[in-house]
Amino acid sequence: MDKSKFKVLVIDDEESMRDSCCLILKKEGFDTDSAENGIIGLEKIEANRPDFVIIDLKMPRMSGQEVLDKVREIDRDIIPIVITGYATVESAVEAMKKGAYDFLPKPFSPEELRIIMRRGLERKKLIRETERLRREKKLMEENFITMVSHQLRSPLVAIQQYFEVILAGMVGKVEEKQKEMILKAKERSEGLLNLINDWLSIARKDGGQIVDKLKPISLGAILSEIVDFLHPVAKDKNISLKLAALSGDDMILGDQESLEQVFVNLITNAIEYNKPNGSVTVSIKENADAILVDVEDTGVGIGPEHLPLIFDQFYQIDRSKRKGDKGSGLGLSIAKKIVEAHGGSIQVSSELGEGTVFTVLLPKAETEHQ
Amino acid sequence: MGKIDNKKIMVIDDDQDFIDAVTTILKSALYEVATASNPKEGKDKVLSEKPDLILLDIMMDSLFDGFSLCNAIKTSKEFKDVKDTPIIFVSAVKELTGSRFQFDGAEQGLVGPNDYIDKPVKPDDLLARIAKLLEK
Repeated sequence: MDKSKFKVLVIDDEESMRDSCCLILKKEGFDTDSAENGIIGLEKIEANRPDFVIIDLKMPRMSGQEVLDKVREIDRDIIPIVITGYATVESAVEAMKKGAYDFLPKPFSPEELRIIMRRGLERKKLIRETERLRREKKLMEENFITMVSHQLRSPLVAIQQYFEVILAGMVGKVEEKQKEMILKAKERSEGLLNLINDWLSIARKDGGQIVDKLKPISLGAILSEIVDFLHPVAKDKNISLKLAALSGDDMILGDQESLEQVFVNLITNAIEYNKPNGSVTVSIKENADAILVDVEDTGVGIGPEHLPLIFDQFYQIDRSKRKGDKGSGLGLSIAKKIVEAHGGSIQVSSELGEGTVFTVLLPKAETEHQ
Repeated sequence: MGKIDNKKIMVIDDDQDFIDAVTTILKSALYEVATASNPKEGKDKVLSEKPDLILLDIMMDSLFDGFSLCNAIKTSKEFKDVKDTPIIFVSAVKELTGSRFQFDGAEQGLVGPNDYIDKPVKPDDLLARIAKLLEK
């Protein structure tokens, strides 16, 4: 099944050259067009985006090299072939160094033109195929991760669902001892579910997909939603949770889903590792090029020996301290990856006994209308 | 105190365990329960059983099927007799990041559900949401 014809534009000040090239190439199955000088040639390139351009290097007014440079600027996928006079092979080599795919020294035979065009065609087809494969691979990766994620989570979710129904007393009275054990089983399976989610996050983020999903978004809007959402959790532990938003523009280029993950993680930690009746304050600030978010808690603080390691995968400060801990230790390392994928940074400062502040810095979204 | 109610809830989900667990919850609140384990069966049964509310798993097959079934029920002529049936999407997706599943089907021009709930569902949460939608 023949795909659509490939298009060639011939730019040469000599009419005979234009006509003969087009004739030969039409017979080869190309869609042909021509232009008598660089200016018209560039106009046609802009308008029609040919697959190939054949450019005579020696033309009055605009030189072939100039045209070549501009073609590369317009579209790097267009394959340029330059025609040189018999004495100017050096300029042809120069042209190739500057982006021409190949050159034809005058006088050339129809066969020589055909051979070069066929090679060019191979290259074009390769480029298209690579692009298609890349897109397919990406789709497959995303689907693979989704598939694996679904397969790993499904059974655990089913297990937890049964626990919920049993604990709600819907299949008979639950004795105290039974309740205790079921709660423990539930906690362990939740831990496993967390671990799976964390690992899948890493698999996703390392794939560099965040970079494709960046859009201008308001940090204030995201944080305000998260703070609202976590209010009941904070209230449950008697921790006060506050948000001090920025009064002005707080737009950054970001991927909402992963940033939500970062801030939910930081704020949940701040609530968790806090003193009774303590507080968590989330404040948004700005400097010249970035928006900063501080997540501050009045918790027990983190010792200086831990601070440099705290963003490492699996690093947990004290495993024995928190019995039934559902954490996997991956949260902060993922947060760091996500923030850095946004071109930002995350820092921590802390005082033992006083509290901790995590600072996330994200580059501002440039607005076009300043 | 259980609510005496003869309303019928349809559960469409490919996970039989989930169906069993949720059926237990729904029956404890004295609802009648109808079930289907794939979008096609769901489609047929919605038309034949005419439930008062539908719990629809959106993780079945390809994600799109749950969405398109919901959209079809709410907009297509075939379903006009049941188009006002409230639908709750059931999802196993963001249960731990905590963020609500964002229905971005709207970008494709699809009509969304009346509510969402994450798996595993907490029995009282599920019953409350159902009750709220059935009040209307």
